[in-house]
Amino acid sequence: MNDEIKVAIVGQPNVGKSSIINALSNAELHVGNFSGVTVEKKEVFLKRDIYDIKMTDLPGIYALNAYTPEEQVAKDFLLNEDYDIILNVVDANTLSRNLIFTMQLLDIHKKTILVLNMVDEIAKKGGSIDKSKIEKLLGIPVILTSAKEKRGVDEIISEIIKLHKIPVAKNKVFYNQKIEQRVEELAKILRKSPHFQSHDVSRFMAIRLLDRDEDAYKMIHDLPIFIEVHNALEKMYKELESEFDEESTTDILANERAAISYNLQMETIDVDEEEGSLSEKLDNFLIHPILGLPIFLFFMWALFQLTFVLGNYPMNIIGAIFSETSSFLADFLPKGIFNSVLTEGILPAVGAIVMFLPNILILFLGLNLLEQTGYMSRAAYLMDGFLKRFGLQGKAFVPLVSGFGCTVPAYMAARTLKNPKDRIITMLVLGFMSCGARLPIYVLLVSAFFANHNPGNVLFLIYISGAFLGLVVAKILRTVLFKGEPEPFVMEMPPYRFPSFKAIGMDLWIKTKMFLKKAGTFIAVAAMAIWFLSSYPVNNKMVQNYNAKIEQTTNIGKKQNLKNELKAKSLEDSYLGSVGKFIQPVFAPLGFDWRLSVAVIAGLSAKEVVVSTLGTLYAMGGASEKSKGLISKIRQNVDFKSAIALIIIIMIYSPCLAAMGTFYAEVPQWAWRIFYTIYPNVVAWLLAFGVYKTLALMGY
Amino acid sequence: MKRISDLEIDEEAVVVKIYAKEPIKGRLLSMGIVKGAKVKIIAHTLARQTWDILSNNTKVALREEEASSIEVKSIYE
Ligand SMILES: Nc1nc2c(ncn2[C@@H]2O[C@H](COP(=O)(O)OP(=O)(O)OP(=O)(O)O)[C@@H](O)[C@H]2O)c(=O)[nH]1
Ligand SMILES: [Mg+2]
Repeated sequence: MNDEIKVAIVGQPNVGKSSIINALSNAELHVGNFSGVTVEKKEVFLKRDIYDIKMTDLPGIYALNAYTPEEQVAKDFLLNEDYDIILNVVDANTLSRNLIFTMQLLDIHKKTILVLNMVDEIAKKGGSIDKSKIEKLLGIPVILTSAKEKRGVDEIISEIIKLHKIPVAKNKVFYNQKIEQRVEELAKILRKSPHFQSHDVSRFMAIRLLDRDEDAYKMIHDLPIFIEVHNALEKMYKELESEFDEESTTDILANERAAISYNLQMETIDVDEEEGSLSEKLDNFLIHPILGLPIFLFFMWALFQLTFVLGNYPMNIIGAIFSETSSFLADFLPKGIFNSVLTEGILPAVGAIVMFLPNILILFLGLNLLEQTGYMSRAAYLMDGFLKRFGLQGKAFVPLVSGFGCTVPAYMAARTLKNPKDRIITMLVLGFMSCGARLPIYVLLVSAFFANHNPGNVLFLIYISGAFLGLVVAKILRTVLFKGEPEPFVMEMPPYRFPSFKAIGMDLWIKTKMFLKKAGTFIAVAAMAIWFLSSYPVNNKMVQNYNAKIEQTTNIGKKQNLKNELKAKSLEDSYLGSVGKFIQPVFAPLGFDWRLSVAVIAGLSAKEVVVSTLGTLYAMGGASEKSKGLISKIRQNVDFKSAIALIIIIMIYSPCLAAMGTFYAEVPQWAWRIFYTIYPNVVAWLLAFGVYKTLALMGY
Repeated sequence: MKRISDLEIDEEAVVVKIYAKEPIKGRLLSMGIVKGAKVKIIAHTLARQTWDILSNNTKVALREEEASSIEVKSIYE
């Protein structure tokens, strides 16, 4: 039997907790240079000698007085879960602020290791750290690390094992005598209850109660000792508050911790904060009162230009490879079902979606740079005033912009918003931020209809209008359903960091793998289903009739026309054709034929399926066969007005099943779930219809 | 009484008192903006609605409402 050691990785946000775990193991935890990257706990397992080490990466938490839902996850873990060792990661650059929280952790009195991360940045500034002095003052082991350069991380494991074998060290950090005296008094009362027998637990609870921690208060609320504790507490609050001349004991403890931390930093770290660092120089520009916003908009615009223009070349090549392969195989393989499924079903579908991989990667690269460089929080700062007008706050920018990548993590990222109203509004409009999987549909339609009208700008316009529409809806929701002010805005702005090429390459590689896997499995299976549903049942009589007619004519053109007519008729009579005809009335006012209608509905499973379904349905014929590529087929079979209506539908209607599942998991109220499931589709249809009719009036 | 929102870019001051209510107050404290801490104004938006302040090597973005809830005095006092 191996010995299991459970380690909780705890620390303030953005100190490098996830990076440390990545450096220690082959985990691929998401890392980014802003607060609130990790929003749920993640477990990573390591083996060393006879030990199984279970590391739990927790969301960053500023203080035990948890503030946001994702911080609450970390707090709940610390208070209620079973773990052996606390690995407290701190940023050496901001040691004193980090230590304020460390002190709260030391109150728990578990085995604790202090990891001073980012020492590479201290070294660069020519600073030095007196490690043994910190160890002496805090009474716990200290390890200096750089997750970036993988320095010191191995020491973490050996220290964990070492600590596991010995009893917990004596507490060395004490507060002011006046506070300690109350703590001891209160702990004594708590020990009367069977829940708080041990000295450590009672002391910790006493401190939490003096800190006015609501969770701690709830824990004692139903116990027999409650009245006694409550009365003692009230008395202590009053006494301490007048002795220290502060409004609340929370402030007294905070000041105490801050003072101890500040002194400790002064005694142990020697570093000159250079004036005019690169970060400051960049900020002179990037968050300039006047230039800041235009620069941000320029970056966004440039990203979509690149997404389209740069992505266009490989897109055409990949598209051509797939269509050539499939026509080659169609002739080469023996005729039959297998041939047809492959060359009319799977290959066109998978090809239709894989050709957009380069575009998607460029978009993801842009979002990744936003996350890694530290510009994310600058953008949130710049957007705060603007978002405020729509009843949101700057922090909502992070989930909103993540929504351009994938809606699922974006819903999770909304956990960083404290106010439940802010959170639900943000989540309700997140679908308006078009995710990466919708990009192929836009690129397809834009290529088909705007090839000569600066397609990059059109793409930018689509994304911006979606975002703007989302904000308008947010405003409406705020005024109608969620009266009240948005939560205040307080957000840390990390220093700029140069992203590591390796990390970015890794991230894009993971995205590519996931994308190809999805294309090769889910999309391929969906395409097979679409093919079968649209090939059966076969109307033998009709086929015979047509074949006879085809035999009789000698005119080659006529023969081809008859063949196409047969294909189109068979497709229309197929199962899928019937389904399509059944739902088509809903979309008929938008000028959609049954193919577009089926594709839109199929897109509810995953947005990639819209394009892949179109790929299959147009490859199976019936549509004009003059051209090979999907883009030109779309151009010939869909009119301009309907294309615009389709873009609007795609932009607004419900996201994919995975995203909807995430929403349901995050929002427990049924009323919101139902509202969320219905309203985007209604808005999408109405808006698409309005625009379709307007375009018709304008003569398009 | 001077508040952070009265300061200009690049101006420095020392925190005297935080008037913000919990839990904002706790949040500011845990970011190191405590009584006696030195703060420096890095930037504010054009309408002075959102502020970026530096304290103890940590940059924090705040809204006007929060910035005006922090009383400061000159570093020379
Ligand atoms: N220079 C330097 N940068 C680091 C180091 N460790 C992490 N970083 C960077 O710091 C940022 C934050 O890293 P994360 O691992 O996401 O931090 P975290 O503590 O998990 O953050 P949250 O999940 O938001 O609480 C990223 O940009 C990392 O690349 C380090 O040792 N040196
Ligand atoms: Mg993390």
